[in-house]
Amino acid sequence: MTNPFGLCVCAIIGLGLLGLPIGYSMIAGSILYLLLAGLDLGTSAEQILNGLYNSYVLLAVPLFLFSAELMNVSNMTDQLLRFCDMLVGRFRGGLGHINIVQSIIFAGMSGSAIADLAATGRISIDMMTRNGRYPLSYAAAITAASAVIGPIIPPSIPMVLYALISDASVGYLFLGGVIPGLLMALAQMAINTIMAHRHNFPVEQPIPLREWPAITLTAVPALLMPVILLGGIYGGVMTPTEAAAVAAAYALLVAVLWYRNVSLRDAYVATLNSSRATASIGMLIAGALIFNYVVTIEQVPQTVRGLLAGYELSPMMFLLWVNVILLVLGCLLEGSTIILVILPIFIPTAKALGIDLVHFGVVAVFNIMIGLVTPPYGLLLFIISAISGAPLHAIIRDTMPFVIAMIVALAIITFVPDTVLWLPRLLGYKG
Amino acid sequence: MNVDIESRPLAIARWLRRRAENVSALLLLAMFLCFILQIVTRYVFNYPLGWTDEVSVLCWIWCTLWGAAFVLRERDEVRFDIIYSSASDKTRCIFTVVTGIAAIVLFGIALPAVVSYVTFLKVERSAYLGIRLDYLYAIYVVFSVAVIVRYAVLTWRAIRGHPPDIQIGSGSAL
Repeated sequence: MTNPFGLCVCAIIGLGLLGLPIGYSMIAGSILYLLLAGLDLGTSAEQILNGLYNSYVLLAVPLFLFSAELMNVSNMTDQLLRFCDMLVGRFRGGLGHINIVQSIIFAGMSGSAIADLAATGRISIDMMTRNGRYPLSYAAAITAASAVIGPIIPPSIPMVLYALISDASVGYLFLGGVIPGLLMALAQMAINTIMAHRHNFPVEQPIPLREWPAITLTAVPALLMPVILLGGIYGGVMTPTEAAAVAAAYALLVAVLWYRNVSLRDAYVATLNSSRATASIGMLIAGALIFNYVVTIEQVPQTVRGLLAGYELSPMMFLLWVNVILLVLGCLLEGSTIILVILPIFIPTAKALGIDLVHFGVVAVFNIMIGLVTPPYGLLLFIISAISGAPLHAIIRDTMPFVIAMIVALAIITFVPDTVLWLPRLLGYKG
Repeated sequence: MNVDIESRPLAIARWLRRRAENVSALLLLAMFLCFILQIVTRYVFNYPLGWTDEVSVLCWIWCTLWGAAFVLRERDEVRFDIIYSSASDKTRCIFTVVTGIAAIVLFGIALPAVVSYVTFLKVERSAYLGIRLDYLYAIYVVFSVAVIVRYAVLTWRAIRGHPPDIQIGSGSAL
């Protein structure tokens, strides 16, 4: 690694630490590199423009954001809660289980944990804390933790980002996330059960059997979304990017025709919010495009591979170390930055060690999503604290058991690759 | 008196921002409609259109760069905000001046090369619609200039003791 590259990395880290948006930090640092290395500065524009132009798969990101926004304005959360109550309300800690099952359903509709939390957070917490049935901080913790399921079960925005940097198939990545996502939910329900018995949390009145059909019917539009998405992709009818557009169209139809509570104004706000989020993530991607170009010129991934080759790591040891590094980084950095900037450094080594890139991707995304609820930098913790008004330290304390359970689940999917790869292989994946 | 003099430019700025937001929302909507059109023509009428791919990708580029130039507020950006948000106002001002000047200088140095790259593209045309690429990619020049102007304003305000207000943990799409 030459000197200009060292300065480039220092500039990016320095500017980033002082609060310059990460996308701008990466563009500015890369310009510094081009300048010091005596390269054409116009390369910055060329790399970013051509990179954005050629990243067709990324169009799924704004479209998934758009469909999540449309789902949110349609207010379907209320109707879904009753459906979840019907399924799991009668067990001890019922409302906690309801919360988790609802997150599974939302996970099948949106690709973003933050969107899921924004959609369900307040209602779930109000429901759990009514009449003081559950402590506020526990309600906030389980709501934040269960939102993490969102980007693991397809669709998934972080997996689209991973597909961009690894060339793995979005379709198989989505399939690979299904069982790990359910495993994560199971781990959380186990913790909820333990907590419920320890603190004697209440059970809900069982819903009479004759009400089941009507309640199920209200949930049908939401439950159909993953079927349409996955069916469309694996039936060979649509590309994942087209599926994202169909998801948005479907969300719009459901909101307008089924739930019938969306005004034109709501639709505009949803569009504007998603275009804003698109610009925000787009800048991060732009920064990553030019920085990854610099990293490629400097042959950093090859250097890392060379270094690691010296240690003669087994694939399992490598995965273990990557998991530890990602968990630590997840406590400090925003997740899409880790996917776009840090993961490309590990991918050549993973390939050389014969690790399946779909397995690697699902493990990495699972890991980085746990970072959404680990302090000091856990986005979902901040958001849920703002929504619920519970103090951050109390939420963090109550989230910890869930984090530990999720790490156990992470270990399982890391060391038993079949948990990830079984479903994709069943549907034709040749990895 | 002062209020009147100051509020007029502010009102204009707010009006302009709302129009910029309209454009941004339209770009997203156009991208979405292109996809729907593409899917319907391909699978229903068995008549694939080529230009929808191109338009949707261009909408994505414009939505990103236009949005970054005119729509995103400081609190919408993805940043590492642990240190910034725990610093005092005075320290935040110093941070803003340092990062602001760095951004202005580096984007400024690159600007002539960026302009010449984009103008050089006048000989090329887009694959389907045959639109000159320098027109389509000019948005990057607009974006670069907007970044420089924005950080000049933020730096100037920080020098006078007003650090930008950010919201911790905002801007992520995860």
